[in-house]
Amino acid sequence: MKSFDYIRPNSMDEALNALQAYDNAYLLAGGTDLLVGMKTNAIRPKCVIDMKGIPNMNSIEYGDGFKFGALTTVRDIEVSPLIREKIPTLSKAAGTLGSVQIRNRATIGGNLCHGSPAADMAVILLGMNCEVRIVSPNGEKNLAIDRFFAGPQKTVLAKDEVLWEIIIPKDIERYKGIYLKHGPRKAMDIGIVNIAILLDADFKSRLCTQIRIALGAVAPTPIRAKNAEALVKEKILTSELIRDVAETASSEAKPISDFRASSDYRRELVKSLVAKGIHQLIEHNAKL
Amino acid sequence: MESKHRIQITVNEKEYDLLVRANRTLLDLLRYDLGLTGTKKGCDEGDCGACTVIVNGKVVNSCLVLGVEMDGASIMTIEGLQQGDGLHPIQQAFVDSGGVQCGFCTPGMILTTKALLDENPNPSEEEIKHYLEGNLCRCTGYIKILDAVNRAVQLLK
Repeated sequence: MKSFDYIRPNSMDEALNALQAYDNAYLLAGGTDLLVGMKTNAIRPKCVIDMKGIPNMNSIEYGDGFKFGALTTVRDIEVSPLIREKIPTLSKAAGTLGSVQIRNRATIGGNLCHGSPAADMAVILLGMNCEVRIVSPNGEKNLAIDRFFAGPQKTVLAKDEVLWEIIIPKDIERYKGIYLKHGPRKAMDIGIVNIAILLDADFKSRLCTQIRIALGAVAPTPIRAKNAEALVKEKILTSELIRDVAETASSEAKPISDFRASSDYRRELVKSLVAKGIHQLIEHNAKL
Repeated sequence: MESKHRIQITVNEKEYDLLVRANRTLLDLLRYDLGLTGTKKGCDEGDCGACTVIVNGKVVNSCLVLGVEMDGASIMTIEGLQQGDGLHPIQQAFVDSGGVQCGFCTPGMILTTKALLDENPNPSEEEIKHYLEGNLCRCTGYIKILDAVNRAVQLLK
Protein backbone atom coordinates (compact mmCIF):
# COMPACT_ATOMS: atom_id res chain seq x y z
CA MET A 1 0.00 0.00 0.00
CA LYS A 2 1.20 3.48 -0.78
CA SER A 3 1.61 5.74 2.21
CA PHE A 4 -1.19 8.02 3.36
CA ASP A 5 -2.18 10.27 6.23
CA TYR A 6 -4.36 8.64 8.87
CA ILE A 7 -6.84 10.54 10.97
CA ARG A 8 -9.22 9.20 13.60
CA PRO A 9 -11.77 11.93 14.39
CA ASN A 10 -13.73 11.84 17.64
CA SER A 11 -16.82 13.52 16.22
CA MET A 12 -18.71 13.82 12.95
CA ASP A 13 -17.77 17.54 12.80
CA GLU A 14 -14.10 16.64 12.91
CA ALA A 15 -14.63 14.05 10.17
CA LEU A 16 -16.47 16.55 7.95
CA ASN A 17 -13.68 19.07 8.45
CA ALA A 18 -11.07 16.50 7.53
CA LEU A 19 -13.02 15.64 4.38
CA GLN A 20 -12.94 19.28 3.34
CA ALA A 21 -9.27 19.71 4.19
CA TYR A 22 -8.11 16.95 1.82
CA ASP A 23 -9.12 16.68 -1.81
CA ASN A 24 -8.49 12.96 -1.85
CA ALA A 25 -9.69 11.53 1.44
CA TYR A 26 -11.47 8.21 1.92
CA LEU A 27 -13.57 7.15 4.86
CA LEU A 28 -12.54 3.95 6.62
CA ALA A 29 -15.28 1.88 8.20
CA GLY A 30 -14.62 -1.88 8.26
CA GLY A 31 -11.87 -1.72 5.69
CA THR A 32 -12.83 -4.97 3.95
CA ASP A 33 -13.40 -3.20 0.63
CA LEU A 34 -11.15 -0.15 1.09
CA LEU A 35 -7.98 -2.02 2.01
CA VAL A 36 -8.37 -4.46 -0.86
CA GLY A 37 -8.64 -1.50 -3.24
CA MET A 38 -5.63 0.18 -1.67
CA LYS A 39 -3.51 -2.95 -1.95
CA THR A 40 -4.16 -3.20 -5.68
CA ASN A 41 -3.71 0.58 -6.06
CA ALA A 42 -7.19 0.88 -7.49
CA ILE A 43 -7.69 3.40 -4.68
CA ARG A 44 -4.91 5.79 -3.66
CA PRO A 45 -6.08 8.04 -0.84
CA LYS A 46 -4.04 10.99 0.34
CA CYS A 47 -5.81 10.57 3.64
CA VAL A 48 -7.76 7.82 5.33
CA ILE A 49 -10.34 9.01 7.85
CA ASP A 50 -11.12 6.25 10.36
CA MET A 51 -14.75 6.74 11.37
CA LYS A 52 -14.71 4.25 14.23
CA GLY A 53 -13.79 6.86 16.84
CA ILE A 54 -17.13 8.64 16.36
CA PRO A 55 -19.72 7.61 18.94
CA ASN A 56 -23.28 6.46 18.23
CA MET A 57 -22.67 5.13 14.76
CA ASN A 58 -23.02 1.40 15.33
CA SER A 59 -26.26 0.73 17.15
CA ILE A 60 -29.50 -0.96 16.12
CA GLU A 61 -32.68 0.74 17.29
CA TYR A 62 -36.25 -0.40 17.02
CA GLY A 63 -39.18 1.91 17.49
CA ASP A 64 -41.01 3.43 14.59
CA GLY A 65 -39.18 1.12 12.23
CA PHE A 66 -35.55 0.06 12.44
CA LYS A 67 -32.52 2.34 12.55
CA PHE A 68 -28.97 1.17 11.94
CA GLY A 69 -25.93 3.32 12.50
CA ALA A 70 -23.79 3.25 9.37
CA LEU A 71 -20.97 1.53 11.26
CA THR A 72 -23.13 -1.37 12.45
CA THR A 73 -21.22 -4.49 11.47
CA VAL A 74 -22.78 -7.03 9.15
CA ARG A 75 -22.12 -9.64 11.84
CA ASP A 76 -24.06 -7.67 14.44
CA ILE A 77 -27.00 -7.56 12.04
CA GLU A 78 -26.64 -11.29 11.33
CA VAL A 79 -26.75 -12.33 14.99
CA SER A 80 -29.00 -9.65 16.49
CA PRO A 81 -31.86 -11.36 18.37
CA LEU A 82 -34.10 -8.39 17.53
CA ILE A 83 -33.44 -8.67 13.79
CA ARG A 84 -33.72 -12.47 13.81
CA GLU A 85 -37.11 -12.18 15.42
CA LYS A 86 -38.61 -9.23 13.55
CA ILE A 87 -36.97 -9.23 10.10
CA PRO A 88 -35.14 -12.55 9.81
CA THR A 89 -34.52 -12.16 6.07
CA LEU A 90 -32.15 -9.28 6.82
CA SER A 91 -30.21 -11.47 9.22
CA LYS A 92 -30.01 -14.30 6.68
CA ALA A 93 -28.92 -11.96 3.88
CA ALA A 94 -26.22 -10.51 6.13
CA GLY A 95 -25.00 -14.05 6.78
CA THR A 96 -24.27 -14.57 3.08
CA LEU A 97 -21.70 -11.78 2.95
CA GLY A 98 -18.12 -13.05 2.93
CA SER A 99 -17.10 -14.96 6.05
CA VAL A 100 -17.39 -14.47 9.80
CA GLN A 101 -14.01 -12.73 9.73
CA ILE A 102 -15.21 -10.30 7.08
CA ARG A 103 -18.60 -9.76 8.71
CA ASN A 104 -16.96 -8.89 12.04
CA ARG A 105 -15.42 -5.85 10.34
CA ALA A 106 -17.64 -5.06 7.32
CA THR A 107 -20.30 -2.45 7.98
CA ILE A 108 -23.75 -1.86 6.57
CA GLY A 109 -22.73 1.71 5.61
CA GLY A 110 -19.55 0.60 3.92
CA ASN A 111 -21.40 -2.03 1.91
CA LEU A 112 -23.83 0.60 0.62
CA CYS A 113 -21.23 3.31 -0.02
CA HIS A 114 -18.88 1.03 -1.95
CA GLY A 115 -21.68 0.95 -4.50
CA SER A 116 -21.31 -2.52 -5.94
CA PRO A 117 -24.41 -3.61 -7.89
CA ALA A 118 -23.94 -7.02 -6.27
CA ALA A 119 -23.67 -5.75 -2.69
CA ASP A 120 -25.62 -8.08 -0.41
CA MET A 121 -26.83 -5.47 2.06
CA ALA A 122 -27.72 -3.08 -0.78
CA VAL A 123 -29.97 -5.63 -2.48
CA ILE A 124 -31.84 -6.69 0.65
CA LEU A 125 -32.22 -3.08 1.84
CA LEU A 126 -33.51 -2.06 -1.58
CA GLY A 127 -36.13 -4.77 -1.24
CA MET A 128 -36.96 -3.47 2.24
CA ASN A 129 -37.50 0.06 0.88
CA CYS A 130 -35.11 1.65 3.31
CA GLU A 131 -34.05 5.27 3.59
CA VAL A 132 -30.56 6.55 4.17
CA ARG A 133 -29.74 9.58 6.30
CA ILE A 134 -26.87 11.68 5.04
CA VAL A 135 -24.96 14.37 6.93
CA SER A 136 -22.81 17.17 5.56
CA PRO A 137 -21.62 20.62 6.64
CA ASN A 138 -24.96 21.86 5.27
CA GLY A 139 -27.06 19.71 7.57
CA GLU A 140 -28.85 16.38 7.32
CA LYS A 141 -31.21 14.86 4.78
CA ASN A 142 -33.01 11.60 4.08
CA LEU A 143 -32.92 9.84 0.74
CA ALA A 144 -34.84 6.80 -0.49
CA ILE A 145 -32.38 4.02 -1.17
CA ASP A 146 -33.45 3.57 -4.77
CA ARG A 147 -32.03 7.04 -5.43
CA PHE A 148 -28.76 6.37 -3.62
CA PHE A 149 -26.91 4.32 -6.22
CA ALA A 150 -25.49 5.97 -9.33
CA GLY A 151 -23.53 3.25 -11.09
CA PRO A 152 -20.93 0.54 -10.50
CA GLN A 153 -18.95 1.62 -7.42
CA LYS A 154 -20.72 4.98 -7.47
CA THR A 155 -23.24 6.54 -5.15
CA VAL A 156 -24.83 9.99 -5.20
CA LEU A 157 -22.84 11.06 -2.13
CA ALA A 158 -21.05 14.34 -2.73
CA LYS A 159 -17.46 14.75 -1.55
CA ASP A 160 -18.56 16.46 1.65
CA GLU A 161 -21.37 14.03 2.52
CA VAL A 162 -21.30 11.10 4.92
CA LEU A 163 -23.80 8.28 5.33
CA TRP A 164 -25.00 8.41 8.93
CA GLU A 165 -27.90 6.02 9.36
CA ILE A 166 -30.05 3.48 7.54
CA ILE A 167 -33.77 3.38 8.30
CA ILE A 168 -36.20 0.57 7.49
CA PRO A 169 -39.82 1.72 7.80
CA LYS A 170 -42.10 -0.14 10.19
CA ASP A 171 -44.28 -1.57 7.41
CA ILE A 172 -41.54 -4.12 6.75
CA GLU A 173 -43.04 -6.29 9.49
CA ARG A 174 -46.03 -7.04 7.23
CA TYR A 175 -43.76 -8.72 4.68
CA LYS A 176 -42.26 -12.17 4.48
CA GLY A 177 -38.95 -12.23 2.73
CA ILE A 178 -36.38 -14.39 1.05
CA TYR A 179 -32.84 -13.64 -0.11
CA LEU A 180 -31.32 -15.87 -2.77
CA LYS A 181 -27.71 -15.58 -3.84
CA HIS A 182 -26.35 -17.70 -6.65
CA GLY A 183 -22.67 -18.38 -6.92
CA PRO A 184 -20.15 -21.17 -7.46
CA ARG A 185 -19.71 -21.84 -3.72
CA LYS A 186 -21.90 -21.75 -0.63
CA ALA A 187 -19.88 -18.88 0.82
CA MET A 188 -17.27 -16.24 0.15
CA ASP A 189 -18.44 -15.41 -3.37
CA ILE A 190 -19.78 -12.24 -4.87
CA GLY A 191 -23.17 -13.22 -6.30
CA ILE A 192 -23.53 -14.02 -9.97
CA VAL A 193 -27.09 -12.92 -9.36
CA ASN A 194 -28.64 -12.13 -6.00
CA ILE A 195 -32.29 -11.36 -5.39
CA ALA A 196 -34.49 -10.27 -2.52
CA ILE A 197 -38.23 -10.82 -2.54
CA LEU A 198 -40.50 -9.20 0.03
CA LEU A 199 -44.09 -10.36 -0.12
CA ASP A 200 -47.13 -8.99 1.68
CA ALA A 201 -49.81 -11.58 1.01
CA ASP A 202 -52.40 -13.90 2.43
CA PHE A 203 -50.44 -17.08 2.04
CA LYS A 204 -53.36 -19.45 2.29
CA SER A 205 -55.39 -17.85 -0.50
CA ARG A 206 -52.27 -16.57 -2.31
CA LEU A 207 -53.83 -13.13 -2.65
CA CYS A 208 -50.93 -10.72 -2.96
CA THR A 209 -51.20 -7.19 -1.60
CA GLN A 210 -47.71 -6.10 -2.62
CA ILE A 211 -44.47 -7.63 -3.75
CA ARG A 212 -41.01 -6.11 -3.92
CA ILE A 213 -38.33 -7.70 -6.07
CA ALA A 214 -34.77 -6.40 -5.77
CA LEU A 215 -32.11 -7.68 -8.16
CA GLY A 216 -28.36 -7.54 -7.72
CA ALA A 217 -25.48 -7.97 -10.16
CA VAL A 218 -27.69 -7.56 -13.22
CA ALA A 219 -27.50 -3.80 -13.84
CA PRO A 220 -25.11 -0.92 -13.12
CA THR A 221 -26.78 -0.62 -9.71
CA PRO A 222 -29.01 -2.87 -7.61
CA ILE A 223 -32.51 -2.46 -9.05
CA ARG A 224 -36.15 -3.09 -8.29
CA ALA A 225 -38.10 -5.03 -10.92
CA LYS A 226 -41.00 -2.57 -10.86
CA ASN A 227 -42.82 -3.89 -13.94
CA ALA A 228 -42.79 -7.38 -12.48
CA GLU A 229 -44.00 -6.02 -9.14
CA ALA A 230 -46.94 -4.24 -10.78
CA LEU A 231 -48.22 -7.52 -12.24
CA VAL A 232 -49.20 -8.98 -8.88
CA LYS A 233 -50.77 -6.11 -6.99
CA GLU A 234 -54.06 -7.40 -5.57
CA LYS A 235 -53.87 -10.61 -7.62
CA ILE A 236 -53.83 -14.30 -6.76
CA LEU A 237 -50.33 -15.75 -7.17
CA THR A 238 -51.04 -18.63 -9.51
CA SER A 239 -48.18 -20.60 -11.01
CA GLU A 240 -48.84 -18.89 -14.35
CA LEU A 241 -48.68 -15.45 -12.80
CA ILE A 242 -45.48 -16.33 -10.95
CA ARG A 243 -43.95 -17.42 -14.24
CA ASP A 244 -44.98 -14.10 -15.85
CA VAL A 245 -43.54 -12.17 -12.93
CA ALA A 246 -40.28 -14.05 -13.24
CA GLU A 247 -40.06 -13.47 -16.99
CA THR A 248 -40.87 -9.79 -16.62
CA ALA A 249 -38.27 -9.38 -13.89
CA SER A 250 -35.75 -11.05 -16.17
CA SER A 251 -36.58 -8.59 -18.97
CA GLU A 252 -35.93 -5.67 -16.61
CA ALA A 253 -32.44 -6.90 -15.84
CA LYS A 254 -29.61 -5.41 -17.89
CA PRO A 255 -26.75 -7.75 -17.05
CA ILE A 256 -23.30 -7.70 -18.57
CA SER A 257 -21.13 -10.67 -19.41
CA ASP A 258 -18.04 -10.87 -17.23
CA PHE A 259 -15.69 -13.50 -15.87
CA ARG A 260 -18.37 -14.74 -13.48
CA ALA A 261 -21.14 -15.37 -15.99
CA SER A 262 -22.61 -14.39 -19.33
CA SER A 263 -25.47 -11.93 -19.57
CA ASP A 264 -27.70 -14.72 -20.96
CA TYR A 265 -27.03 -16.91 -17.93
CA ARG A 266 -27.76 -14.01 -15.60
CA ARG A 267 -31.07 -13.34 -17.33
CA GLU A 268 -31.98 -17.02 -16.97
CA LEU A 269 -30.98 -16.91 -13.31
CA VAL A 270 -33.21 -13.92 -12.60
CA LYS A 271 -36.16 -15.77 -14.12
CA SER A 272 -35.47 -18.97 -12.25
CA LEU A 273 -34.58 -17.39 -8.88
CA VAL A 274 -37.58 -15.05 -8.83
CA ALA A 275 -39.94 -17.95 -9.54
CA LYS A 276 -38.19 -20.17 -7.01
CA GLY A 277 -38.18 -17.41 -4.40
CA ILE A 278 -41.89 -16.70 -4.68
CA HIS A 279 -42.78 -20.41 -4.63
CA GLN A 280 -40.61 -21.00 -1.57
CA LEU A 281 -42.14 -18.05 0.25
CA ILE A 282 -45.64 -19.32 -0.41
CA GLU A 283 -44.87 -22.93 0.54
CA HIS A 284 -43.06 -21.94 3.71
CA ASN A 285 -45.62 -19.43 4.94
CA ALA A 286 -48.80 -21.25 3.92
CA LYS A 287 -47.96 -23.88 6.53
CA LEU A 288 -47.73 -21.33 9.36
CA MET B 1 9.10 11.71 5.59
CA GLU B 2 5.93 9.94 6.41
CA SER B 3 4.73 10.08 9.95
CA LYS B 4 4.38 7.23 12.39
CA HIS B 5 1.53 6.75 14.80
CA ARG B 6 1.84 5.63 18.38
CA ILE B 7 -0.36 2.72 19.34
CA GLN B 8 -0.79 0.71 22.50
CA ILE B 9 -1.90 -2.85 21.91
CA THR B 10 -2.12 -6.00 23.95
CA VAL B 11 -1.05 -9.15 22.12
CA ASN B 12 -1.39 -12.49 23.88
CA GLU B 13 -1.79 -10.64 27.18
CA LYS B 14 1.45 -8.71 26.72
CA GLU B 15 1.32 -4.92 26.32
CA TYR B 16 3.19 -3.17 23.55
CA ASP B 17 3.81 0.52 22.90
CA LEU B 18 4.67 0.88 19.22
CA LEU B 19 5.29 3.43 16.51
CA VAL B 20 3.77 2.28 13.21
CA ARG B 21 3.26 3.73 9.76
CA ALA B 22 -0.38 4.11 8.72
CA ASN B 23 -0.01 1.63 5.86
CA ARG B 24 1.22 -1.24 8.08
CA THR B 25 -1.39 -3.97 8.28
CA LEU B 26 -1.98 -5.77 11.56
CA LEU B 27 -0.71 -8.92 9.82
CA ASP B 28 2.64 -7.33 8.94
CA LEU B 29 2.86 -5.74 12.38
CA LEU B 30 2.43 -9.13 14.06
CA ARG B 31 4.80 -11.01 11.77
CA TYR B 32 7.57 -8.47 11.16
CA ASP B 33 7.43 -5.99 14.02
CA LEU B 34 6.60 -8.47 16.79
CA GLY B 35 8.14 -11.63 15.29
CA LEU B 36 4.90 -13.59 15.79
CA THR B 37 5.04 -15.62 12.61
CA GLY B 38 2.37 -18.14 13.58
CA THR B 39 -0.15 -15.94 11.76
CA LYS B 40 0.27 -16.61 8.04
CA LYS B 41 0.05 -14.43 4.97
CA GLY B 42 -1.89 -16.39 2.34
CA CYS B 43 -3.78 -14.20 -0.09
CA ASP B 44 -3.32 -10.87 1.72
CA GLU B 45 -6.79 -9.80 0.59
CA GLY B 46 -9.24 -11.34 3.01
CA ASP B 47 -10.18 -14.45 1.03
CA CYS B 48 -8.27 -17.34 2.61
CA GLY B 49 -8.36 -16.81 6.37
CA ALA B 50 -4.74 -17.85 6.96
CA CYS B 51 -4.17 -14.48 8.63
CA THR B 52 -7.05 -14.94 11.10
CA VAL B 53 -6.49 -13.50 14.58
CA ILE B 54 -8.89 -12.72 17.41
CA VAL B 55 -9.36 -9.00 18.11
CA ASN B 56 -11.40 -8.03 21.17
CA GLY B 57 -12.94 -11.50 21.10
CA LYS B 58 -13.82 -11.56 17.39
CA VAL B 59 -12.09 -13.31 14.51
CA VAL B 60 -10.87 -11.00 11.77
CA ASN B 61 -8.58 -11.20 8.74
CA SER B 62 -5.52 -9.33 9.98
CA CYS B 63 -4.50 -8.52 6.41
CA LEU B 64 -7.48 -6.19 6.15
CA VAL B 65 -6.86 -4.35 9.41
CA LEU B 66 -4.39 -1.49 9.76
CA GLY B 67 -2.12 -1.53 12.79
CA VAL B 68 -3.18 2.02 13.59
CA GLU B 69 -6.80 0.89 13.94
CA MET B 70 -5.73 -1.36 16.80
CA ASP B 71 -4.81 1.29 19.38
CA GLY B 72 -6.27 0.01 22.64
CA ALA B 73 -7.18 -3.40 21.22
CA SER B 74 -6.57 -6.82 22.70
CA ILE B 75 -5.36 -9.40 20.21
CA MET B 76 -4.85 -13.14 20.39
CA THR B 77 -2.68 -14.94 17.87
CA ILE B 78 -2.08 -18.68 17.67
CA GLU B 79 0.94 -18.23 19.92
CA GLY B 80 -1.38 -17.02 22.66
CA LEU B 81 -3.63 -20.05 22.69
CA GLN B 82 -1.35 -22.38 24.54
CA GLN B 83 -1.23 -21.94 28.29
CA GLY B 84 1.77 -23.59 29.94
CA ASP B 85 3.35 -26.77 28.61
CA GLY B 86 0.54 -28.75 27.00
CA LEU B 87 -1.40 -27.92 23.87
CA HIS B 88 -4.77 -26.22 24.09
CA PRO B 89 -7.54 -28.84 23.65
CA ILE B 90 -8.41 -27.40 20.23
CA GLN B 91 -4.80 -27.76 19.10
CA GLN B 92 -4.70 -31.31 20.47
CA ALA B 93 -7.94 -32.14 18.68
CA PHE B 94 -6.52 -30.98 15.36
CA VAL B 95 -3.39 -33.07 15.86
CA ASP B 96 -5.28 -36.18 16.99
CA SER B 97 -7.86 -35.99 14.19
CA GLY B 98 -5.34 -35.70 11.38
CA GLY B 99 -6.63 -32.19 10.67
CA VAL B 100 -3.11 -30.85 10.04
CA GLN B 101 -1.15 -31.61 6.85
CA CYS B 102 1.09 -28.78 5.70
CA GLY B 103 -0.07 -26.68 8.62
CA PHE B 104 -0.40 -23.40 6.78
CA CYS B 105 -4.14 -22.97 7.30
CA THR B 106 -3.99 -24.45 10.78
CA PRO B 107 -3.40 -21.38 12.97
CA GLY B 108 -6.35 -19.65 11.32
CA MET B 109 -8.54 -22.75 11.50
CA ILE B 110 -7.77 -23.23 15.19
CA LEU B 111 -8.46 -19.61 16.14
CA THR B 112 -11.71 -19.62 14.20
CA THR B 113 -12.64 -22.85 15.97
CA LYS B 114 -11.88 -21.20 19.30
CA ALA B 115 -14.09 -18.22 18.45
CA LEU B 116 -16.87 -20.57 17.34
CA LEU B 117 -16.78 -22.70 20.48
CA ASP B 118 -16.57 -19.64 22.72
CA GLU B 119 -19.84 -18.42 21.18
CA ASN B 120 -21.48 -21.79 20.69
CA PRO B 121 -20.01 -24.73 22.66
CA ASN B 122 -22.28 -27.26 20.95
CA PRO B 123 -22.54 -26.34 17.29
CA SER B 124 -24.33 -28.42 14.67
CA GLU B 125 -22.49 -29.63 11.58
CA GLU B 126 -24.05 -26.80 9.56
CA GLU B 127 -23.08 -24.23 12.14
CA ILE B 128 -19.48 -25.45 12.13
CA LYS B 129 -19.28 -25.31 8.33
CA HIS B 130 -20.87 -21.86 8.22
CA TYR B 131 -18.49 -20.48 10.84
CA LEU B 132 -15.36 -21.92 9.22
CA GLU B 133 -16.26 -20.88 5.67
CA GLY B 134 -13.67 -18.10 5.71
CA ASN B 135 -10.76 -20.48 6.30
CA LEU B 136 -9.52 -22.33 3.22
CA CYS B 137 -7.44 -25.51 3.23
CA ARG B 138 -5.75 -26.93 0.14
CA CYS B 139 -4.55 -30.15 1.71
CA THR B 140 -7.09 -31.95 3.84
CA GLY B 141 -10.37 -31.74 1.95
CA TYR B 142 -11.86 -30.44 5.22
CA ILE B 143 -13.23 -33.78 6.48
CA LYS B 144 -10.62 -34.19 9.19
CA ILE B 145 -10.82 -30.53 10.08
CA LEU B 146 -14.53 -30.99 10.79
CA ASP B 147 -13.63 -34.12 12.79
CA ALA B 148 -11.16 -32.01 14.76
CA VAL B 149 -13.77 -29.39 15.59
CA ASN B 150 -16.18 -32.09 16.76
CA ARG B 151 -13.40 -33.68 18.80
CA ALA B 152 -12.61 -30.30 20.35
CA VAL B 153 -16.27 -29.89 21.31
CA GLN B 154 -15.99 -33.12 23.31
CA LEU B 155 -12.61 -32.27 24.82
CA LEU B 156 -13.86 -28.90 26.03
CA LYS B 157 -16.88 -30.35 27.82
